[in-house]
Amino acid sequence: MRDVAIIGAGMIPFGRRDEDGLMDMLAYSSLNALDDAGLGDKSVDAVYVASMGAGILQHQTAVASALVDRLSLLPAAAEMIENGPASGGSAVKMGLLAVASGYYDTVLVVGGEKMRDVTGWRATDFVATLTHPLAEYIYGVTLPGMAGMFTRLYMEKYGVTREHLVQVAIKNQKMGALNPYAHVEMIITQEGIMDSPHSVVNNPPVADPLRLYDACPVSDGAAAVVLCPLDMVKNAKKPPILIAGFGQATDTHTLQEREDPTDLKAVTLAAKQALEMAKLKPSDIHVAELHDAFTILEIAESEHVGFFKKGEGGKAVAEGKTQLGGTIPINVSGGLKARGHPVGATGVAQVVETVWQLRHEVGKERQVKGAKTGLTVNFGGFGNNVVAFALKRVNQ
Amino acid sequence: MNEIPVVAHKCKNCGKIHYPFHDRCMNCKAREFEATKLEGNAKLLTFTQIFNLPWGFDQRFLIIGVAEFENGVKAMGQIAADSIDGLSLGMKMKALWKPVRVQAGEKVYGLMFEPIQ
Amino acid sequence: MGLDMELEAVLRAPEVYQAPYPSKVITLANGKKMVVREVSREDVPMLLEGVRPTLMIDRDYYDIVGARLYAELLGWYRYRVRNEYCIIGQIDGILVGIVNGRMMNADIGISLHTLAIDRGLRVGAHLFAAKMEHHIEYLGQKEVWITAESPIGFRRWMIEYGLEKQTDVQHELGGATSYRLSRELYFASKPRLVVGDRPVPKEYLDVAMQEIIVADEETITEKISGVTGR
Repeated sequence: MRDVAIIGAGMIPFGRRDEDGLMDMLAYSSLNALDDAGLGDKSVDAVYVASMGAGILQHQTAVASALVDRLSLLPAAAEMIENGPASGGSAVKMGLLAVASGYYDTVLVVGGEKMRDVTGWRATDFVATLTHPLAEYIYGVTLPGMAGMFTRLYMEKYGVTREHLVQVAIKNQKMGALNPYAHVEMIITQEGIMDSPHSVVNNPPVADPLRLYDACPVSDGAAAVVLCPLDMVKNAKKPPILIAGFGQATDTHTLQEREDPTDLKAVTLAAKQALEMAKLKPSDIHVAELHDAFTILEIAESEHVGFFKKGEGGKAVAEGKTQLGGTIPINVSGGLKARGHPVGATGVAQVVETVWQLRHEVGKERQVKGAKTGLTVNFGGFGNNVVAFALKRVNQ
Repeated sequence: MNEIPVVAHKCKNCGKIHYPFHDRCMNCKAREFEATKLEGNAKLLTFTQIFNLPWGFDQRFLIIGVAEFENGVKAMGQIAADSIDGLSLGMKMKALWKPVRVQAGEKVYGLMFEPIQ
Repeated sequence: MGLDMELEAVLRAPEVYQAPYPSKVITLANGKKMVVREVSREDVPMLLEGVRPTLMIDRDYYDIVGARLYAELLGWYRYRVRNEYCIIGQIDGILVGIVNGRMMNADIGISLHTLAIDRGLRVGAHLFAAKMEHHIEYLGQKEVWITAESPIGFRRWMIEYGLEKQTDVQHELGGATSYRLSRELYFASKPRLVVGDRPVPKEYLDVAMQEIIVADEETITEKISGVTGR
């Protein structure tokens, strides 16, 4: 197997992009990544496109074929990856395997989602289609609902408090306000979303015990990376970033069949595989992008990947360990919470952000000083399909 | 009370109970199962009150939970309650078979848990 | 040309006394204080400046809400609407939202429009709640009739308040479905939907009263339809 490097990373600002369709967003982010890799007028061998909802939300299929045509990348191989909210991570993994195997040399991976074409009701229903059709979906359960049931148990078992959740929201929205690619740029305060009696309206429950500011927004957006074998990177202007390890694991479809529903086994396994392959320990990681679709998930994942012991993640947030300048800065991009969560784009966006961090390109307000290693966790379903990557800066 | 048609699947080899259906046992990979009905009352394992409901629901909120029956089957269902204030983890619930949503103009039936006072 | 006051007197809608809406202050999610207060007829020209940019924004039906609100405010300013009132939200003096309504008669209130200029802070939710508070608690009405022109409005008012659908009457805003907020429903929803502190501390009220600051057209358009914001 060959070592694989990321030589190009591109993204477009997430948010409500009424002017742009899914194809536009995929094309713009692809061009940004190709330009970043210095391949603006070149072709690639293969293209992997992630989208969870093109077929449902845009009523469009075979999007990868349409994209290579639009980008004049013909006759490159092209594939579509739909793997729920882990589609982006899966697409990066498929691209990685294709290059590592020696079969393709240059691969473009792009993930995107256009969720604001439809009303909130439809978007909520679309995401809920990943639940079990008979045992879950028919009851009207939503992803926030799954997260709410998980949160109740996690709080009960590990003593996570509302204040811990609020601290995650405040931290991530503060970082989002500094990230030009973020959907939400609003700084929030503990007074406004928790302490003031007026917070009952500002921050109403969405799926008890989770409230509005515990959840990520519904976003449009796309992100892309270009991969090639590390040994073919010559005289790169920007430091190539090595995908030093990856991991992927699955768990039961329904939450109810997990022996301990607070145990996110797929997160533990995926992160462990990625770190072991990269020969890194959790404490060696300088910056992490965790899948905080809900504030509780940032805390739970920070424990499951091994940054903190079970039950200590909430306290770590309160102590500032996960903020910029802390022992392990988490989601300095703003995370899904503030950058937004266009589902098919998220796994790729986490990798793009980490590439920028490891190249020291994000600007001093958000830069983790001297970051050389990063970990990303893309959480599909409600933890039933998780993809993780360990990235390393390579000094040439 | 209407008969609840939910069927769980007990592995004929190792006895593990599955719900919903799996083609191979999660434990021993055997493929033969014995249909098992939900038995008795259920214990509430977790719950939430969901606002911002998906398309197809007109009400302000739904209360949904997972409960474990006396024979070990765990299942999700709606909870018949006006608010979550009276609910607590571990409380006893009675299971009913009731309309849980409307699809294409037709009532869809499913599990409805009712707290036992 | 001067007004023919005799003819004007015929055209003007009669007004009956309306109890005032007492100002309140709300702490928003970002920690800022929004003063919610009733404005007078004389403030209308300034408010129209804030509404005008929305006429060209089709996102989330801002154009239809803006156009109708514009006409209603102008109608009130020129004495062509009976018993209208208008409540605004201001942060540091800046206009962030407008709601209006009127008394159809002593018992029935009509909710007209809700326009949030600042988005993502639940300004619309707070101001709509203030409007319901005014009808039920200060104007002392038995019920308020409401209709929605946008999906956001529908979700917020009809679902969050659990309003009753009315099939036997038409709302003044046209033939769209009318919903009813009764006193009973209002008081049942009040603890989770209606907040605010009274009296407003002098420091905030003085700033709000001194001037209604309206952002420029570009800023308003960006706030409502920019890439960012929920």
